Amino acid sequence: MKLCVACGMPMEKDEDFPLGDRTKDYCVHCARPDGSMQNYDERLAGMTSFIVTTQGLDEGAAGRAAKAAMARLPAWKTHP
Amino acid sequence: MNTKSTNIEDSHRTARRARTSRAEQKLETRRRILDAAIIVFGRDGILKATTADIAKEAGVAHGSVFVHFGSQEALVAAAIEDFGEAMARRLHETMRRGAGTREVLAAHLSGIREREDFYARLVAESSLLSVEAKNDLVLMQSAIAFHLVPAIEADRKTRRIKTMSLSLLFNTWLGLIHYYLANRELFSPGESVIDARGQELLDHFMSLISIGGKR
Repeated sequence: MKLCVACGMPMEKDEDFPLGDRTKDYCVHCARPDGSMQNYDERLAGMTSFIVTTQGLDEGAAGRAAKAAMARLPAWKTHP
Repeated sequence: MNTKSTNIEDSHRTARRARTSRAEQKLETRRRILDAAIIVFGRDGILKATTADIAKEAGVAHGSVFVHFGSQEALVAAAIEDFGEAMARRLHETMRRGAGTREVLAAHLSGIREREDFYARLVAESSLLSVEAKNDLVLMQSAIAFHLVPAIEADRKTRRIKTMSLSLLFNTWLGLIHYYLANRELFSPGESVIDARGQELLDHFMSLISIGGKR
């Protein structure tokens, strides 16, 4: 099973892939509407907002956790 | 093919096999230390546990813990990450079967039950852990929320559960189960609080969020 390089989500079904394209290594949540992969800042904002919405954390605390998660993912490992 | 080249190929094959088995052995030792750490953290407390006791439980030399994890803090972070991964796999499987909110929450309880001693220590000691471990805890809850949200949204659409803030719904659930876990000696001395009270907590929570009472 493929894991999204940008967020770690397991990708199984067609709808998990951007525009249903199974050759992509990133998932539908990490893609822009045109199917291209989001950049670091877009992904960080997305992950932070998910943590704020679902756990109600302060935005700074949520952003720090999101940065820590991204540092471990293949797509962002080399991001300064 | 002459004998010499056959011998070279044989020796390469032997070396490859040795490398694979060394890599496997390394992974196995790492796993054994991690499993031992989860037991010792649960038994003695995360901050009170010593790497010497973890090494003893794992049956490895004390230095081996540091070869594989670098520091005790890194071992704590790895244990949280491992717990989170097992939980995410369990919830992913549950969601694949088209589960609703109640089933996802029941799977969450089963995942906690599997390593209840460790998780109860995490709940009790979370504010004293390192920044890295605290971030790992947020990410673990985020993975749970990721699986819970689609179930909640589907149940909302079919008007099974009330519309309310996602974070308040999730934190009300966590607050409830964490209170029972943190005080489990008062609620179920000598036995699992999830076994003793889990069903009651799940029924109560579902009745709070369901339209028209119990679901």
